[in-house]
Amino acid sequence: MNFRKALLPLAVLAAMVAGSAQAQVNVMLPANPGGGWDSTGRQAFQAMNDAGIYTGAVNFTNKGGAGGTIGLAEFQGAYTGKPDALAVFGAITVGSIILNKSPIDLADFRPVARLTAEYLVIAVADSSPHQSLQDLVEAMKADPGATPIGGGSAGGVDHIALALLAQAADIPVSDLNYIPQASGAETVTGIVNGTLAAGISGISEFQQFAEQGRIRILGITSAERKEGLDVPTFKEAGYDIEIANWRGILGSPDMPEDNYQTWVDRFTQLNESEAWAKVLETQGWDQFFIAGEEFGSFIQEENERIGAILKEAGLAE
Amino acid sequence: METFSLLLQGFGIALQPINLFWAFLGSLLGTAIGVLPGIGPALTIALLLPVTISIAPTSAFIMFAGVLYGAMYGGSTTSILINTPGEAGSMMTALEGNKMARAGRGAAALATAAIGSFIAGTISTVLLTFSAPAIAELAFYFRPADYFALTVLAFTSVAVVMGTSRVRGFISLFLGLALGLVGIDQMTGQARLTFGIPALFDGIELTVVLVSLFAVGEILYVASRYRKDGSEMTPIRGQVWMSREDWKRSWKPWLRGTALGFPIGALPGGGSEIPTMLSYTLERKLTKHPEEFGKGAIEGVAGPEAANNAAAAGILIPLLTLGLPTSATAAVLLAAFQNYGLQPGPFLFTSNPDLVWGLIASLYVGNTVLLVLNLPLVGIWVRLLSIPAPQLYAGILVFATIGIWGVANSVVDLVVMVLVGIAGYVMRVYDFPIAPVLIGLILGPMAEQQLRTALAAGQGNPLVLVSTPLSVVFLVIAALFLLAPVLIRRLRANA
Amino acid sequence: MPNERGHAAAVGDSAKAAVPRPWWLGGLVVALGCLCLYGAFSLPQVARYAGIGPGLFVTLVGSGLVLLGLLLLIQIAQGETFTPQDTEDASGSEKANLTALLTALAAATVPVLTMRALGVPLTALLSFTLVARAFGSRRTMIDIATGAILGSLAWFLFTRLGLQLGGFMPFAGI
Repeated sequence: MNFRKALLPLAVLAAMVAGSAQAQVNVMLPANPGGGWDSTGRQAFQAMNDAGIYTGAVNFTNKGGAGGTIGLAEFQGAYTGKPDALAVFGAITVGSIILNKSPIDLADFRPVARLTAEYLVIAVADSSPHQSLQDLVEAMKADPGATPIGGGSAGGVDHIALALLAQAADIPVSDLNYIPQASGAETVTGIVNGTLAAGISGISEFQQFAEQGRIRILGITSAERKEGLDVPTFKEAGYDIEIANWRGILGSPDMPEDNYQTWVDRFTQLNESEAWAKVLETQGWDQFFIAGEEFGSFIQEENERIGAILKEAGLAE
Repeated sequence: METFSLLLQGFGIALQPINLFWAFLGSLLGTAIGVLPGIGPALTIALLLPVTISIAPTSAFIMFAGVLYGAMYGGSTTSILINTPGEAGSMMTALEGNKMARAGRGAAALATAAIGSFIAGTISTVLLTFSAPAIAELAFYFRPADYFALTVLAFTSVAVVMGTSRVRGFISLFLGLALGLVGIDQMTGQARLTFGIPALFDGIELTVVLVSLFAVGEILYVASRYRKDGSEMTPIRGQVWMSREDWKRSWKPWLRGTALGFPIGALPGGGSEIPTMLSYTLERKLTKHPEEFGKGAIEGVAGPEAANNAAAAGILIPLLTLGLPTSATAAVLLAAFQNYGLQPGPFLFTSNPDLVWGLIASLYVGNTVLLVLNLPLVGIWVRLLSIPAPQLYAGILVFATIGIWGVANSVVDLVVMVLVGIAGYVMRVYDFPIAPVLIGLILGPMAEQQLRTALAAGQGNPLVLVSTPLSVVFLVIAALFLLAPVLIRRLRANA
Repeated sequence: MPNERGHAAAVGDSAKAAVPRPWWLGGLVVALGCLCLYGAFSLPQVARYAGIGPGLFVTLVGSGLVLLGLLLLIQIAQGETFTPQDTEDASGSEKANLTALLTALAAATVPVLTMRALGVPLTALLSFTLVARAFGSRRTMIDIATGAILGSLAWFLFTRLGLQLGGFMPFAGI
């Protein structure tokens, strides 16, 4: 008698959930809520919904950790061969897979689209004697140890960008005194109080401190100057480098061809939509779109370039 | 005077009925989610971010202010009533608060926490209003050597003050330090102490250890030694409210906690852990009732709670004045600002004064709403304790596991929960203090990071560690903590 | 837990046997220290400019644990007493009830096995019933019902609030 009483509420509750709608597409966000990948995924689908490109249900899963490799490994295990499963990832994932000796291989996934990018800038304190990127590079060359430079974690995009700059200036990458900082906030304070000779980070983290006159931005890693930011590119300063912290979308491994094409088309439409343009503007993201197999070859190139740099820096075999 | 009128204008905005409604809703949601162990303010606000798409920025931030304080208060409530701190900031509250609750003084503990938070929030709001730009500069003043010395001070003080034996205090601390080392080394990308388990790459989740050590360890310990015939837990014994004596013993810790929490909260990496911990050790040193510490001393609740709340206001200073997010909560708030295309920083004060001053005023309103909401509920909350012990402890375990599961849906976290729970059991049986483990786990990575940054920037010269006046002061105080008992004994012997 | 038996036996002994000597405790601390040192072994100790590599801090913490473990062993040899912490519901001097301890431990272990497959409500039901049993409750049917209701309500409330807790009953596809 008692047992039946116990089951009754359970049955009622079960009936209630069974009624709720099933999700149409599963999206893995391999980062914690609130971060860049999280908002890229959520905003993209919101914009798709607003523009009427895809209005079905979306089931997001957050699984942060180790540059997205943990979430992607889980994604691969759970969704290989499934038709409507996508994952957000980015430039950081490429380096993390190599550094952490992660078993996943980005070539196994279907490359859907590269959506956005944030370019990197290098900055010194306002009181620093270095007036130009060349000045800073000369100082690095003369005494790399006495020129400590801060940025994001080892092997991340900031580190790779600095290593590429060193290579272009014939400074051995392993000589750099690169000091990874726990957050952008600590990089900025380190530059200002003189602990760091310079710092490298995404524009959004540095721009307003430059406007406040605390730091001076010496160069940007984009191909052309960025509107509203009077800063020469690395190329203009004589170092042929272009690198960005890009974010994109992967499809599940062995996704059926039809579904894959549908998603490539949907993201291509998204990229041209009004709704997405508005998201890019409010978030301060740069458009950096390519789709399909073209994106696949881009990932391959990044993989080779970053792998070579990590080897030279002594971080990977 | 101009700031004052701007603040008044801010109150005008925050007190509009619709915004009061958002503040109320935020406090309610914050408290509801905050009572789940392991789910702190940062995660709560992140969860509510999608909601903001549909409401105006001012209302959204007013709601977030409510969530922030609500989640913090929810954490204190569980710390006091069921000895399960939901986040690091309310860890110290559990130490004395739960002892008070078990002695039938839970209502007084909840009240001193709520009023202390309110007073700390009030003072912090005033400071935020009038001295934000000056305090913000502190962030640029602190160097890696200073941070390192500050963590050394925190380590020695906690290992010496907590518990009965210094050897056991330091063992606890070092266990925490070892746990903190698990994961990928940020400076070189190497995996450390992960023994090939990918789920450990990101380190051991602090909240998992926190909940397991307190809740699971406690459940195992009490289960093994439960006295069925013993007295049931008393919800209320003696006076329900804070007595005159309680007020007298609370107001100084409130003020001291605020003085510690506000400036340290404003530092990058300062957070709420260091000030709450320092506040606890300070009150323990200064108290006139040292025999009550560890058995339910009200100072040990009043101080840390005020510090926790003041630190929460402190983190807004670098965020609003500089656009510098100094904690997880601040980073999530920054994301919220960016959702509206707003960039916090000095220009926000001129470009969106309504928003900034509305937010500052709403902090105050949020605090008041919380006080109004919670003080009458104190009596009801305390009734939780009249649930019979078997069902109460069963409920605590269920909430602890759901909280841990909700953080990352990770089975490895649940395994860690069991192992750390067993460790918590053994530590209780052999009288090892719990808090130093958590301090080691929380501050260990920061200590190492700052040490390595300082040395790398100084090209390996160890003298950089004592190159600033602040670092010298902190290290000298740390040395005093370590040696004081010996010195005092010697002096007494000579006298 | 063999240690538990040792402790309980020692407490049960007459006053003459006096101080229990939990050698294993010191040994465990030393062992954990050695585990750290083993983990540090494969890591570089020195980095270029800092002079401190990823392995050094691990080595220091490991050595510290070994040293503290040895100190603890010395204290134990000198007859250091370990008084179990007193709480309101439990008396430190009482003999440990091994069955209750293991039942509670089982309750804590259940989620590891069932959370993913059975979901929050059923896991809550199992854990709740086991803990209540460990504390001597014999009204099992009521405990089962309470656990199921508590778990389901929590699942509903927190899922509504936006937490990801998995399916209601994943094995049944809901």
